[in-house]
Amino acid sequence: MSRQRSRDYRARIDAALSATRQQGALHRFGDAYLEARQKALEDLDFEALREGIAELKDEVGRHRQQYLDQFIELAEKAGAQVVRAADAEAANDYIVQLARRRGAKLAVKSKSMASEEIGLNQALRTAGVEALETDLGEWIVQLAGQRPSHMVMPAIHMFRDEVAALFGQVTGQAEPADIEHLVAVARQQLRDKFLQADMGISGANLAVAETGALALVTNEGNARLVATLPPVHVVLVGIDKLVPTLEDAMRVLQLLPRSATAQALTSYVSWIRGPVPQEGPAKELHIVLLDNGRSALAEDSDCKDALRCLRCGACANVCPVYQTIGGHVFGHTYVGAIGVVLTAFLDGLEPAAELVKACIGCRACVAICPAKIDLEEIILQLRRRISDQEGLGFGKSLVFRRVLRNRRLFHALLRSAAHLQKPITDSRGSIRHLPLHFSSLTEWRTLPAIADKPLRDLMPAIDDQLSAPRLRVALFAGCATDFVHPQIGLSMVSVLNRCKIAVTMPRGQSCCGIPALYSGDRQTAVELARQNVRELLADDPDAVVTTCPTCTAALRQHFVALLQDDAQYAESARRLAAITYDAAAFIAEQLPDLPAAAHRGTVTYHDSCHLKRGCGVWKEPRQLLDKAGWDLREMDRADRCCGFGGSYSFASHPEISREITKDKVNSILRSGAEAVAVDCPGCLIMLRGALEKRGLPQRVAHTLELISEALEDAGEDTI
Amino acid sequence: MIMCGVDMELLERFILAAGRAGAHVVRTLDRTALVDYIARHAEGPILLPNFAVGQRLRLAEALRESGCIVLTEHFRAGAAQASAGITGANFALADTGTVVLDSTDEALRLASTLPRRHFVILDPHKILADGLAAVGPLRVLHRRQSPDFVAFITGPSRTADIERVLTIGVHGPAELHILLLEGISDDPLES
Repeated sequence: MSRQRSRDYRARIDAALSATRQQGALHRFGDAYLEARQKALEDLDFEALREGIAELKDEVGRHRQQYLDQFIELAEKAGAQVVRAADAEAANDYIVQLARRRGAKLAVKSKSMASEEIGLNQALRTAGVEALETDLGEWIVQLAGQRPSHMVMPAIHMFRDEVAALFGQVTGQAEPADIEHLVAVARQQLRDKFLQADMGISGANLAVAETGALALVTNEGNARLVATLPPVHVVLVGIDKLVPTLEDAMRVLQLLPRSATAQALTSYVSWIRGPVPQEGPAKELHIVLLDNGRSALAEDSDCKDALRCLRCGACANVCPVYQTIGGHVFGHTYVGAIGVVLTAFLDGLEPAAELVKACIGCRACVAICPAKIDLEEIILQLRRRISDQEGLGFGKSLVFRRVLRNRRLFHALLRSAAHLQKPITDSRGSIRHLPLHFSSLTEWRTLPAIADKPLRDLMPAIDDQLSAPRLRVALFAGCATDFVHPQIGLSMVSVLNRCKIAVTMPRGQSCCGIPALYSGDRQTAVELARQNVRELLADDPDAVVTTCPTCTAALRQHFVALLQDDAQYAESARRLAAITYDAAAFIAEQLPDLPAAAHRGTVTYHDSCHLKRGCGVWKEPRQLLDKAGWDLREMDRADRCCGFGGSYSFASHPEISREITKDKVNSILRSGAEAVAVDCPGCLIMLRGALEKRGLPQRVAHTLELISEALEDAGEDTI
Repeated sequence: MIMCGVDMELLERFILAAGRAGAHVVRTLDRTALVDYIARHAEGPILLPNFAVGQRLRLAEALRESGCIVLTEHFRAGAAQASAGITGANFALADTGTVVLDSTDEALRLASTLPRRHFVILDPHKILADGLAAVGPLRVLHRRQSPDFVAFITGPSRTADIERVLTIGVHGPAELHILLLEGISDDPLES
């Protein structure tokens, strides 16, 4: 079943990749969004505000029942009829029965993702009630017979000519594809419907426990009409929308519109408490509090942070995968990173299985989330659960369990690969073409060959480095530096030696385990963590320095988490984490000011996802390059993923990687720089491969290589 | 009515933010100037609900004298012909340029949602700093009556649902005119 599912998903990715107009629109949107959002946040302390939201949402999570009871009591006191719906069926039943009792024929709706989640429109239609969407984007999507491809902008995948054609079917005449005109058509077509409707249905952005009020945050004004004009107003709201107090509600309002649409505030925020009086029959307000998997999520200690979500859509806006394949493919009811997680809890692991694998792990969503949800970590957790359920697949299972856990075998295989690849490797050490069914891997990039000799065979003996080192550090090279780009490690030795620091490379070190962990094989990751902790600390170094930010994250964070319950290794893992540094950050601290360096040329810097967003290092490499005489030319979106993502670009989703890499190469070219500096061997492999294949002259190098060359040319032994 | 001076810093911030959100903010000198502004911009029949400041200014009378057609009841039926609606504001928020209107009375809701133009009369004494400063009066409004409906209004109705192109006036008012008039009310519990 899972194989067929994967094939189906792959076919949907292919279809999305050929929708280039959508990709262009989502890219332009992502760029414009980031700029506007930054402006909307310029006077605010985003980190402090999102920390506050995380805290207040966690407080609700801990005392869910208490706040629910309080909200229900006060909402009922204000005259609302409140019902708790355990699942989609219960919510639909209540609303359908209510419509029947009131003899409703037409229900006008304002945008509600919860109603999409439970399939309310379909349930009402089956009962003979027309549910008419009135939010412009939702109406467009409803007319097209589709579902929203974004939580805030449902029709972002569509274009004015398509909208004109849909509206033409409604009005019975040709409608010009002019946006202002189309908006006027919607106003005119829907106005009478509001006045005729028997029922109004909306969602809510906040349910305030302190007052029993609901808050609706909107721009178009349709929610105000939905709430005001029909005699019955039904509010369908997830229990995750609860906040304790009005102050908390205001805190959410500070970040929600800024994160969703980069507005300081939306046009309307309506605070509704009970059924307000109206002309004609007595008004009814029904509040359906939807659980539908939310309580289960709240009880799940690894994933519960996802309940903090404000539904702003920011995680999709910045996601390179979303921008490449759109929300219909990278999402279910909810889209983007939060969509992946909510799908798993609201719809089940099976519909989430492919989505979970489609995340490239760049952490752009984690950095932007106004509720401070570590979406990547939760997605990894879900990936583990799916692989526990479905297995890793034969290939991965063999590689991880039999090969990766056995360092000698793993390294012996890499060495023999270096020998076997000789016939297909060019003079630059790149593989430009692969035979047969591997050929697609080198269609759009060259691949680096395994080095003739790994770094471990090339490392200068410590006695040959310095006579009296002031510090002694252990290098954790990671597989890519060790076996593919050993010169990065040698550059590091050379730079550190000039800072009077000696470098050892403990020979027993192995893969950091991240590839296994990211594929869902936790046990292999645990075994590798033990091996590496033991080997790296064996000689009691002053510091452990890495040349790969993913490895840094492994040593600093993942090992600690993986070994926290391991009596023998927990303490050592924490000690290792405390002395581990990324090379750029470490050297920036150790390298004193250089004598005025000769001008070396122009360079643009690519921020590796795991260095900037994983380790918080982005200033240091730029400072080092500047010190070394490089003239920095920033590229646009320097911190956007390069498309590497480890096995993502080789095995699981090379077709998506290819598009993401294309974006990065274009940014590099627009910068006009002669060279590209990166601090991650993965990014190096990806970008060098892509530039080489296109025959472009820009050099891609690890920051350490550029620094080492500059120091060598300066000609001083030590500083 | 004795009031202390208007906080000019808050007022400037409010005017800037409201303008940024697409509202027209107009400082009117007196009742005559205010009525004149509305009469010149209404472009058709006006929905005028019953609210404290409107009463105090005897707006219906003044507007009719200026030649406006003024509806004061049966707004559902009258909405189709109405070109504008007038309300007061309980208070306003400087940082977002928001006017806050207790619109529990249906007539206030209809006048501020259905017509193409919405005129809001605001005394600049009632401008608060931000949403957190609004919590106090909002809490009092909630306590005073039940059920209730309070609206935060920031600029005109807008959408960007087609190709992200900002378009004004989809379902609500396409124009929001905020008329500042000093000395008419300093009470956030009335509009």
